[in-house]
Amino acid sequence: MNAAEAPTLRKTDRTKFFFILPAVVWIVVFTLFPLLYALYTSFFSFRFGRINQFVGGTNFIRLFTDDNLHNGLRVTLVFVAITVALQMLLGFSLALLLNREMRGKNVLRALMVLPLFATPVAMGYLGITLFYEINGPINALLGALGWGAVPWLSNPFWATVAIMVIDVWQWTPFVFLVSLAALQGLPADLFEAAEVDGASSWQSFRQLTLPLMTPILWLILLLRLVEAFKVFDIPTSLTLGGPGRATEVYSLFTYRTALRFFDHGYASTQGFLLLLIVSLIVALIFRQLRTVYQEEGN
Amino acid sequence: MRRKTSPVQLILTGGVMAFALLWVLFPFYWALVNSIKQPADTFRPGAWVPFWQFQPTLEHWIAELSILETRHALLNSTVIALGAATLSVLLGTTAAYALARFRFGKKGNANLTTWFISQRILPPVVVVIPFFLIMRQLQLLDNVFALMLLNATFTLPFPVIILSQMIRELPKELEEAAYVDGATVFQGFLQVVLPLLLPGLVATWIICMAFSWNEFLLALSLTTKSAIPMPVIIAGAEHTRGVQFWYVGVRVLLTMLPPIVFALLAQRYIIRGLTLGAVKG
Repeated sequence: MNAAEAPTLRKTDRTKFFFILPAVVWIVVFTLFPLLYALYTSFFSFRFGRINQFVGGTNFIRLFTDDNLHNGLRVTLVFVAITVALQMLLGFSLALLLNREMRGKNVLRALMVLPLFATPVAMGYLGITLFYEINGPINALLGALGWGAVPWLSNPFWATVAIMVIDVWQWTPFVFLVSLAALQGLPADLFEAAEVDGASSWQSFRQLTLPLMTPILWLILLLRLVEAFKVFDIPTSLTLGGPGRATEVYSLFTYRTALRFFDHGYASTQGFLLLLIVSLIVALIFRQLRTVYQEEGN
Repeated sequence: MRRKTSPVQLILTGGVMAFALLWVLFPFYWALVNSIKQPADTFRPGAWVPFWQFQPTLEHWIAELSILETRHALLNSTVIALGAATLSVLLGTTAAYALARFRFGKKGNANLTTWFISQRILPPVVVVIPFFLIMRQLQLLDNVFALMLLNATFTLPFPVIILSQMIRELPKELEEAAYVDGATVFQGFLQVVLPLLLPGLVATWIICMAFSWNEFLLALSLTTKSAIPMPVIIAGAEHTRGVQFWYVGVRVLLTMLPPIVFALLAQRYIIRGLTLGAVKG
């Protein structure tokens, strides 16, 4: 065997780079280079869409004084905190409830995938009709329950609620599906042993399910947070950031800075602030994830 | 886990399940039912079941599909999704093979994997500005080719992660037997591993297509006219033509149906892909 193995190894040593290099080069060209270019442009002011002059740290100082940027940041933080909390709570509860042998579960699981792939921009667009204020289906339902018409899209507070509802609709199934898959991967004999020992369902949930699920829940939280901070599509198609700037999320504000006002340098700087925030969250949570990704280590 | 279920629990879970289904499916039904209603039926209360409560029509579908812009956008979306997914899977499969079968120094494999994963963490708005400036320089603005390249970049983590896990699950002896028979590493990869990988490969390709199809921010920023895909058409629609519920229904379904069908086809691999390999659904 040794004789056959030796040439193989030498062969692989050189060829392995042929396999990995295309993807590595691709990421360098399409991610690393653009990032560096963005960093470069963040030191310049632009005029008529062209680099005008070196302005040093001015764009970075503007980050601290720009009220509209702070508005975008606030809107995004509120959006992220509320939607992700609701998705985690609803998705995990639903998974716990349906984690048993029952008919129709596979159908439910298949259908729960649909919202994840429903084009977000189309959902925002559909939201214009769903949240239609006069006789739209949601207001009609609320009316039947004895509520007055809710000013979904013309009131700043309700417009924020509307984009949140669509996001929760879209991503709660993700938390549900991942939690359910993880719950079903838990070792059944542990739970059987606990039951034999007379543990109540609350005890086995508290002492077994929750600790075993903790790393997965951290992972879901991380993936949701990272994704939620990118929010752009739904407010752009549903509310155009309005009324006023009530739903002008961070990415939408940056997009407008760059492609409405052609202030590319400042927009790049804004991008880096968002990247910094997301990176901090990843760094904080990633430590909890060692166990999940352990198998990639070797 | 197999506790006896009491009738109360059964009713509770059944009720919750029914509510969840209704909640998930209602928007799709709403889009469908509006797309086949006459304008006069749109706001009529109690018009929910076609044929029974209202007379359905296909005229809005025909009208929308006869608009040149819409047809062009559908074509653009298809070209971008196909091209991006194919590129992404080509690059990703070879990288996945390298990560699964070869060692790159002491911690190289883990670091490379993290590096590929971090691609999905990057908020696209950070790179959309340099992309815009670079593509303008290269005269690739409003070009489907540019969107193809960029969507391939953002979907690359999926094939890398999903396929490297699948390859690790295949016994190494398969290729080693081929090497003994005189096969090169490339032949081992192409003739032994790829055929076994085929189902996962197709699923990954489909997932990449769905993500590229749904992508909006880059498409909005880099297209102006001839390269506009469906999501961009939809975003500007109500401001040019007002909110016409029937056309909203048609456009929403035209945009969402392909990725939704893709999702159903790739079911088995979706959890694995979306959790970047951490949970096998």
